[in-house]
Amino acid sequence: MSRVIDASVHVFFGGNDDMRAHLREPYRSRGIPDYEKDWYGAPGGEYVPWARVPGTYPGSDPELAGRQLLEERGVDLAILHPMTRGLLPDRHLASAVAAAHNEMLVRRWLEHETYGERFRGTVRVVPDDIEGALKELARWKDHPRVVQVGVPMQSHVLYGKPQFWPLWEAAAEAGLPVAVHVEAGSGVEHAPTPSGPPRTFAQYYSFMALNYVYHLLNMIAEGVFETYPNLKVVFADGGGDMVTPFIWRMDTFGRPHLEQTPWAPRMPSDYLAGHVYFVNGKVDGPPADGPGGQDMASEWLRMTGKEDMVMFGSSYPHWDTADPAELPSAWTPEQRDKVLSGNAAKLYSLES
Amino acid sequence: MEPRKVPVRVVDSDVHPVPRPGVIAQYVPEPIRSRYLLSHPRGETIFYDAPDYAHAKAMRVDAFTPDGGFPGSDPALAFRQLIVEAGSDIGILEPGGRGHHIPEVTSAYKHAMNVWQDKDWLDPVNNWHERWRGSICAAVEDPQGAAREIEEWAGHPYMAQVLINAEPRPAWGDPKYDPVWAAAVRHNLPVSCHLGRGLHEQLPMPPVGFPSSNHDFMVSYSLLAANQIMSMVFDGLFERFPTLKIVLVEHAFSWILPLMWRLDAVHRARKSDIPEIRRKPSEYIKDHVKFTTQPLDYPEDKLELTRAFEWMEADKILLFSSDYPHWTFDDPRWLVKHLPEGMRDAVMHLNGIETYATVPTHVTALDGKAFVY
Amino acid sequence: MALPQGREHVVCTEDEIPPGTHKVFPIGRHGVGVYNVNGAFYAIANYCPHEGGPLCSGRVRGRSVVSEDAPGGASVVREGEFVYCPWHQWGFELATGTTAVKPEWSIRTYPVRVIDRKIVVTA
Repeated sequence: MSRVIDASVHVFFGGNDDMRAHLREPYRSRGIPDYEKDWYGAPGGEYVPWARVPGTYPGSDPELAGRQLLEERGVDLAILHPMTRGLLPDRHLASAVAAAHNEMLVRRWLEHETYGERFRGTVRVVPDDIEGALKELARWKDHPRVVQVGVPMQSHVLYGKPQFWPLWEAAAEAGLPVAVHVEAGSGVEHAPTPSGPPRTFAQYYSFMALNYVYHLLNMIAEGVFETYPNLKVVFADGGGDMVTPFIWRMDTFGRPHLEQTPWAPRMPSDYLAGHVYFVNGKVDGPPADGPGGQDMASEWLRMTGKEDMVMFGSSYPHWDTADPAELPSAWTPEQRDKVLSGNAAKLYSLES
Repeated sequence: MEPRKVPVRVVDSDVHPVPRPGVIAQYVPEPIRSRYLLSHPRGETIFYDAPDYAHAKAMRVDAFTPDGGFPGSDPALAFRQLIVEAGSDIGILEPGGRGHHIPEVTSAYKHAMNVWQDKDWLDPVNNWHERWRGSICAAVEDPQGAAREIEEWAGHPYMAQVLINAEPRPAWGDPKYDPVWAAAVRHNLPVSCHLGRGLHEQLPMPPVGFPSSNHDFMVSYSLLAANQIMSMVFDGLFERFPTLKIVLVEHAFSWILPLMWRLDAVHRARKSDIPEIRRKPSEYIKDHVKFTTQPLDYPEDKLELTRAFEWMEADKILLFSSDYPHWTFDDPRWLVKHLPEGMRDAVMHLNGIETYATVPTHVTALDGKAFVY
Repeated sequence: MALPQGREHVVCTEDEIPPGTHKVFPIGRHGVGVYNVNGAFYAIANYCPHEGGPLCSGRVRGRSVVSEDAPGGASVVREGEFVYCPWHQWGFELATGTTAVKPEWSIRTYPVRVIDRKIVVTA
């Protein structure tokens, strides 16, 4: 049976008391938003019913998560992403909240007696606070089970811009991929779509993950992958299918724009392999009854090198928790292995 | 003797005429003309500049008129370069033009664009060949004004569609725009949606920061169109207006294939939130939305594009366009070679004839006109 | 002295195309442009391989490179050695007919020689 590495498991504090216990003053007494999204929460609840056990916040108990994922759902290894509390205007507070989550992640999850050896962690940093982020990264980068550094999808400034480069440089030097993930909670982020706030959750959910395209295209145009050849970026909310048409477009317009962006001298698609990765989730890939059918899923996955970029991720315990059984049956066994574990094993140095 | 008629082989869904300096002002009503249009000088407003902008102005450099006039400002030159030399049979004119943050002001500007088209491009002198069709420009952000404009021009012998900008917020599914769609469907006119590129709310306002260069800006613009589709589907626009036809112009199109998958999957997972959305998103899209071929994005391996065309049923959803005279112009003779043979008739002219009002199946033959396919 | 070979066209005299200028001659389907780049002559087809644009109507320029000491971090080198298509601004090196980013995207070039102060294009 093939190995399964779950590239996206979401980790929370048990509640606000739990979080505040991990914060020191003056941040312990600050006002901090909850995980729930006010305007864009999922109708019916954010989490799958079977992870909602009374007395625990979903995704806050390593015992429960370990049993459900590693024992019942056939996952061999899980990459954990702490969910934090929104794009906070006060970057100092945001860094303190991130640090509290990282501390909890390492002590409670990565060092868990039973399941710790099958958990790997993403340490969250705050791009608005580069100094704080570099310190936090330095603090955890050598922990044997820390495999990644995480930043929010939401931002006021695209991640190709130079204010973020010291963080990308440090991550690349530490050999840690950077995971970009939609932030929980609410703060001063812009409206989630280019036309302002959406009316439905369906639209919010459909669009939000695609915001990675703006980040990716900007990182390419700014020559980030040229300057930091060892940098790896994981777009952890899915949407990897969209990379194919967007890189086609980026390439088609690449040649005329070379004169404007000499720091990115190669064709944009040349910057994907070895640099860009996606978590593959519940709404990714051609559905069985969708346009084109599903027989072509294997051919589609090969295009633009996606089969080497995509990693299965459940997004447990969110309502869209994905299952390997839902992956397209038309994928070849080799493709399936790559997506289920091969690509993640290579990226996070988890070869067994 | 009757002039010789030939079948229309190429309907060009995106041609950009430009008014000569000072012309539009005549058609903007007072007091808006004095208070807004002529109130202060306005210079170049470009940021996100196309390559070599200072010289090329984001245009085909060979489309400037011999006396230095802006590309698209001379109907005769446009006729020669696009219809005769490149081979488009019918050109759907889509004027750009100014927008303003006050909706009623934009409405007045749009009205002026319609009067100008009628007088300077669709008139018997400049349209002697009957190859130009115009667009009823409407300010969607002023729904009542837009509906009035549509009522005024519907039935014009050469107006093929309604034209709105892609940027105004909120997205199209919001009920506030219903008067616009109602007017369009009342007259069986498709509504085309073109990029506007203005300031603030007339820019796509990417949620996660502004692109650094025209390169990442232009390419990411497609996400605006993707979002409009999401709103039209999930906000029930096509349930409220089951005969509405939408054309997304110059937003590229190959992204619609994975987008249809995504929306179908989201719809299946969230059906109980939105029970009024009865059909799969991909069904709404195939029935109601079309895309222009320009700019054609293609991978190095052209077979991948061919396969993508097949999977998305491109013959159902694509309309050929050139974007003459912009620098991103796609020549019809070049474009047609990239279409699978069995799809060429649909994309190059059948879909256009079916989608647009006033577009005929035959036109008067022209001597020396280029053969496209 | 070797005599000109193949289909050779004597297009004009040397001093009719001073350095930094070019002329287009009606050779072949689309015409051939002869360019004087710092004293060296190059001939290219007036046809862009992308979509068939009139290549020789495009501007002749250098190319941008990263230049840390220049304001804006970029400067232009090798002025006059590249022609940019007036449609989609694809740039080609006049001497080689190709570009660094993808050498396989190339324009058609023709041998040019100066014989007795006359420019001879083999096309």
